[in-house]
Parts: sequence; structure tokens; C-alpha cells
Amino acid sequence: MTKVPRRMDQPLQGMRVVEVAGGVPAASCAHLLAGYGADVVRVEGADVPVAPHWTLSADEATYLLPGKRRVLLEGEEAGAAAALAALVASAEVVVLDGPPGRFDVPAWRAANPSLVAVTISPFGWTGPDRGLPADDLIAYAAGGLLSLTGDPASTPLATGGAQALWFGALHAFAAVTGAYYGAVVHGEGDWIDLSLQECMAGALELYGPAAAYGEPAALRFGNYHRAVWALYPCADGYAGVFCLERQVPALFAAIGEEALREERFRDPQQRPQHDEELSAYVLSFMVDRTGDELARLGAERKIPFGKVRTPAELLDSPALADRGFFDTVQRADGSTVAVPGRPFLGMDWDGGGPERAPAEPIEAVLAGWSRS
Amino acid sequence: MEPIVRKLPFEGVRVADLSMMWAGPYATKLLAELGAEVLKIESPSAWDNIRTLIAFPDQAQPWNSSYYFNTYNRAKKSVTLDLAQVRGRAVFLELLAHCDVLIENYRADVLDKLDLSYDVLRAANPQLVIVSMAGFGKTGADRALVGFGPVIEMMSGLTSLTGYVDDDVSYKCGVSYGDPVAGVAAAGAVAMGLLQRRRRGVAPIVDLAQREVAATFAGGAFVAAHRDPAVRHHGNRHPAGAIAPRGVYRCLDEARHRDTGAYALIAGREADEQWIAVSALDDGQWAELAALIGRPEWAALPLTERVARHDELDGAISAWAAPLEAGEAVAELRDRGVAAARVLDMVAIHDDAQLRARGFWIDLPHPNMPEGWVQPGPSWRFVEADTAPKVRAPLFGEHTRAVLSELLGYDEATLDALAAEAIIADAPINPGVG
Repeated sequence: MTKVPRRMDQPLQGMRVVEVAGGVPAASCAHLLAGYGADVVRVEGADVPVAPHWTLSADEATYLLPGKRRVLLEGEEAGAAAALAALVASAEVVVLDGPPGRFDVPAWRAANPSLVAVTISPFGWTGPDRGLPADDLIAYAAGGLLSLTGDPASTPLATGGAQALWFGALHAFAAVTGAYYGAVVHGEGDWIDLSLQECMAGALELYGPAAAYGEPAALRFGNYHRAVWALYPCADGYAGVFCLERQVPALFAAIGEEALREERFRDPQQRPQHDEELSAYVLSFMVDRTGDELARLGAERKIPFGKVRTPAELLDSPALADRGFFDTVQRADGSTVAVPGRPFLGMDWDGGGPERAPAEPIEAVLAGWSRS
Repeated sequence: MEPIVRKLPFEGVRVADLSMMWAGPYATKLLAELGAEVLKIESPSAWDNIRTLIAFPDQAQPWNSSYYFNTYNRAKKSVTLDLAQVRGRAVFLELLAHCDVLIENYRADVLDKLDLSYDVLRAANPQLVIVSMAGFGKTGADRALVGFGPVIEMMSGLTSLTGYVDDDVSYKCGVSYGDPVAGVAAAGAVAMGLLQRRRRGVAPIVDLAQREVAATFAGGAFVAAHRDPAVRHHGNRHPAGAIAPRGVYRCLDEARHRDTGAYALIAGREADEQWIAVSALDDGQWAELAALIGRPEWAALPLTERVARHDELDGAISAWAAPLEAGEAVAELRDRGVAAARVLDMVAIHDDAQLRARGFWIDLPHPNMPEGWVQPGPSWRFVEADTAPKVRAPLFGEHTRAVLSELLGYDEATLDALAAEAIIADAPINPGVG
């Protein structure tokens, strides 16, 4: 039996979480809860309803499963459902991203009034689209972000790494912690019906609100909105400059071109008519400098420069190493990998650890979680 | 019998909110939706830039008229205080004694420059949960970097993962994606900070680096980087070839809104193009899709062959979709059980039947906004407690006098004196486009 770690100083110490065979949305939510001290039991098995198109890749499993206990439910579906209900009855939180309607969440809530249940699905558990099949691309399209992303001369382009799923997972984590706080203080849990579509439709920056206001709908801008808010080639890849008006003078000073003293560039009202010319000055400045040079300059002069960094580059980042950002996972083959760790500092985090097989007996979990 | 009124999780929690732009206000919007009393504190001389980022020249009070500001700051109270003045800081510290949480998203060095170091804040209220959300954190070699959402996304590894097939150019997300990502995490940090304070009697100081939160969204790619440091772009296709075909296909342009001004003019024509997203999630869905596009002879193609012939399949789906309206194409696909959705643009998303059925778009009347203007409802749909927002975004300084009077006992003479020194105000000083 896997020993339940002692995490007496962690903010979620004492929180017992059932994760129902999650894909990225449920597994990532539960991963964050586990890192901050919750005792997470991930329930798997052939008869546990899952979202088949969200199943974890091997790399995602390496990242998201250490730190959890894994239970394999075997037998008939009815038996699996009863075992799951018994676990949930002893838990503070249940997280699931399986098909809407396949779990009796109201019954779980009735049996356990302080339970916080979060169901994560593409469209939510109500409405005409509730049961439709979807993967991250479909959810990203329905949430509006896909229409805003990509080259205007090409197709809309999904942001890499299945962002609909990760964004929904983080929403679930934060919503669970909020609801759990309410359960601790007021004694009442709740059921959070989280729709990936709604998570994204609520994060359309100014573009969604602008259309609601009656302004023309924005379409995708690609990497270029205007000369001072764009991504450019730099000496060692791609880098961006994203200035608000108050930072434009510092950018112009850094570029150092005499022409940029002219009113037509300095005046924000006139500048759009000369944007193409301005972008040529910015490009010639950016292309001669490396990402590191731009970062140094940005820090000195308070200019928002950034370099497009790859995960491999970030694994070598001294700044992230200084902050102890990465966790270490011991893989089943004996190797180790560094993975992103805590989302924030200030509360005890216990991440990484060994990969585990689904070998925890459910009886042992139930015995440990017994409320009697 | 009276209906049972459920308490919201953060009822009784008061938040001092110094955050600006999108990331921090997104966090405090979430807290307000769960019942927190959020005091949005701005200086008369340095207000939230979002108010004036977009020019509203026809509005008498443009700082109160921004759809950007008014969407993400609803259900908060607006309090003005000039923290650059000694007296303003003193009032602020007095106010903090009545708060449970302080949240700020200044650059890493700004609190100290305002003489509001953690020691000073803690002296004002030892039980204050503090959440700082600087872009790159309060410590480390990158702490002095400056960045908004796109910079955060680029520096986190996420942008590098986005691009068209066989194209080295990386693309940023269409919104300042780092902002809401950090905002959601900050809301979670507040909840956990309150829990920790309640259980251990010690309120934490949270150092949330926006870049680090975004990097957690690329966890699998970090594992993959140990095998192969190179990043490859997959466009809209499944990166591991587990689903195929999968892509985005163009339909007929949106004609219903033609000439209404609903779509932007780009190069002299309305940019009203319409697209659908399609994912053949399994063999059965593929067989249905093959029949629908008139290629039944492809129905038995196994996944490996579909991946190998993806370009050819894309061509056939594109040809099928091109003469159809997007809604019509999606309906046909869904009738056959194929995963599909319109690529909802900013007009279409407000008409989406699913979002409308769930009451997602809400109308909170606001004196400076047009009648019927809607905004997104809560993303966290609590089934039992009522989290539906009921209070519009505040006008600049709308609650200053009430808050300082009720919490600190200030009388009218004191408040007038603060106003005379421009420590508080009901309009920004020298407002302009931010």
C-alpha cells in the first residue's frame, strides 16, 4: 500500500479528493490540489466513464499523475458505480471530466452536504449541446478564441498544447478551492458545472465586449496588431514588443532613430497613419538583437520585450532554477525528468515524485477515509 | 416557506484590490462573483489604464464608459486613494486593517517604491493574505522584466508550441492569454491563503509569477523536451496523430450581417469569413464524415492512413464545406455524430444557442453603457448557490466616501479635506488615452 504522505503544513491538508479517471481537465485540477496537500485518489477502470478523447498522453501522465494514489476499479459497471459513490461519500471534493449525465452528482451531494463536486465538460451539463462529442479543438472553436488566433491570410489556428483543456483545468482548481473554503466556513458544498466553452467565452479580452457594444467584430491579427504591439524576427529567433502608450517614448529612445522624434510618430492619434513606416524602424531594431539583449534592455528601460522561448530553453533558465520552479519526476524506467512545479510561491508545495501504477486497493482508501 | 438562501463562499471576505489592466481584475472579478467585497483602489492621478485604453471621444466620462473596464470590474466598489501621497498611504494602511486580502499586479519593484513593502503592509494588518502577481515574480534574475499577457505567453513556452504545419513561425494567442491564466490562479491562491490563515492562524504572502503559471499549461511539452528539444508545429492537427482528420475549414461568408457594420472592414471588404472546426474522434465518426463529404470509399481508412493522407482528406472536407453556411455544415456533422463546431467569431458567439440556453450573456444596466449591452456571466456555474452577478461595474470613485466613512469613521469634513488635496476624487486627473 502506498503511504499517504504527511503534509501537515499545507493549505489543503485534510482535503480528500476523488479524481475520476481524468483527462487533462480533471487530472490537472487534481494535480494542483495534490501539490498543495490534498490526498488525491484517482479512480480508473474499464467501467469508469471517461471522456475518451481527453485521455492523457504518456507525457501528460508523467506530469500529472505523481503525487496521487491510483485505484483500479474492476468488475461490473454497477459495482464500479457503487464503489465510486462510497469513495465520494467520504471525500471533500470530487473532480470529473467524463460525459455529462453519466454520474449521479445530485445523489452524491445529497449524501454528503459539504461535498464540492466539479464536473468539467466541453459545453456544460445543461443546454442543447451538452452531450455533443468534442475534443480541445472543438471546445476552443466554440469558446471564441480560435477565431481570434492565427495569421489573417491563413486559417484560424488553435493555440498549441490543447489550451481549452488546460484553461478549464485551472478554472476548476480555483473554483474548487473557493467552494471548499465556503464549505469549511459555511458548512455547505456545491456542484460546479464547468463548461470549457464558457471559460473561454468569458476571457475574450476586449474583443468580445467590443462586439457586444456594437463595434465591428475583430478577426485574427496574427502576430501583428500595430508596430508597437507585435512579434518580430530577432537575431536568434522571434521576439515581441508590446507597449502601452506610456512605454512608447522609452521604446523610441531605445531605437534611437532621429525620425522617431517627429510628431507623426509621437502623437498616438497620428501614429496609425504611419504605422507601416514605424514598423520598419522597429523591425530593423529587433532583428539586430538577441532575445537576451532585448530582455536586458527591457529591464533597464521598462520596455515590454519578450522572446519566444521553448520548453527546452526554459528547462535551462537560471531564473526559473533560482526560484525552484521545477519538480522532479522519477519515471518507472529509473530516469528522471524536470517538470513545471507550483503555480505560485508562498504556500507549501510538494510536487513531483515517483510515477505510480494503479495499484491502491480501494478498501484501504475507504478504511483510511472512514468518517466513523 | 421561505426559499433557502445559500451563502456564497467568500461572503464576509473583504479584498483590497490594487490590480490593474486585465490579469488582476480578472482575479478579483472571480472573487466578487463568489461573494467577496472587492474594493478596487485607484489613484486619481494613476488609474487603471483599462478605463482609457480605448478612446471614447463622444462620452462625457470616457473613464466610466469602457466596455473593457466595465466587463471585468463588475460587482466591485471603486475607492480612490493617491498612494503616492503620504496621507493617501496612511489612509490606505488604515483601510488594510479592515481587509482580509490584498492583491496587486504591479511590476516587482513598485510596492517598495510606494513605501508599501511587505513589512509595512504586515504592520498594518498581520492577518492580511497578500497576493502579488508580478509578471516574472518578486525574486530571481528575471524579476525586473516588464511584460503584459503576450510577453508572458511567449516567455512561458506556450507561444513556441503554436504554428502552422511545417512552418517555423510561432503565433501568439489572439488575446493577452497570460492575463486570464494568471488571474484564475490568483483567485485560487486567495482561497488557499484564506484557508491557511483559518487553519494555522498565519496569513501567507503569495508570490505568483504570471510566466510560471502559464508554463504549467505546457507540462507535457516539458516532458517531451527531455527527449527532443526541438518544437514542431502541428497547426490544428492532433500533435500525436491520435485523431484524424482534424482541422478548420472555410464555409460561406456570413451574409446575414453584410452591410450592417458588424464585421470589420479589412482591405476594403467586410471580414465576415466563417469557419468550422471538425474532429473525427474515432473510426465511427470518420466513416460518417467520409459518407457526408461524398467519399464513402474512404470510410474504412484506418487512423494511420488518415494521418498519412491528412492533406488529401482536408482537401475533400474543404470542398464539401465551402458552399455551405457554417451553421448548416455543423448541423449536418452533428446529426451524424461527428464532433464539430462553428469557429464562433465575436458576433456569432453572442448568438450561440448553447450559451443563450444557459443564460451565459447577462445584462447589467449601467448608466454609461448602451441599453442591451451584455457581458459574459460567471465561468464558475455553481448549481446550488446563486452566483449570478447583480451589480454593475462602479463609476470612478463611486464608493470612496461611503467606504471611508463606514470602515474608518471619516466625517464629511475629513473627506472634503482629502478631496481638496486630490487624495480622493470622483474623476481622474488629466484623463487621456492610456
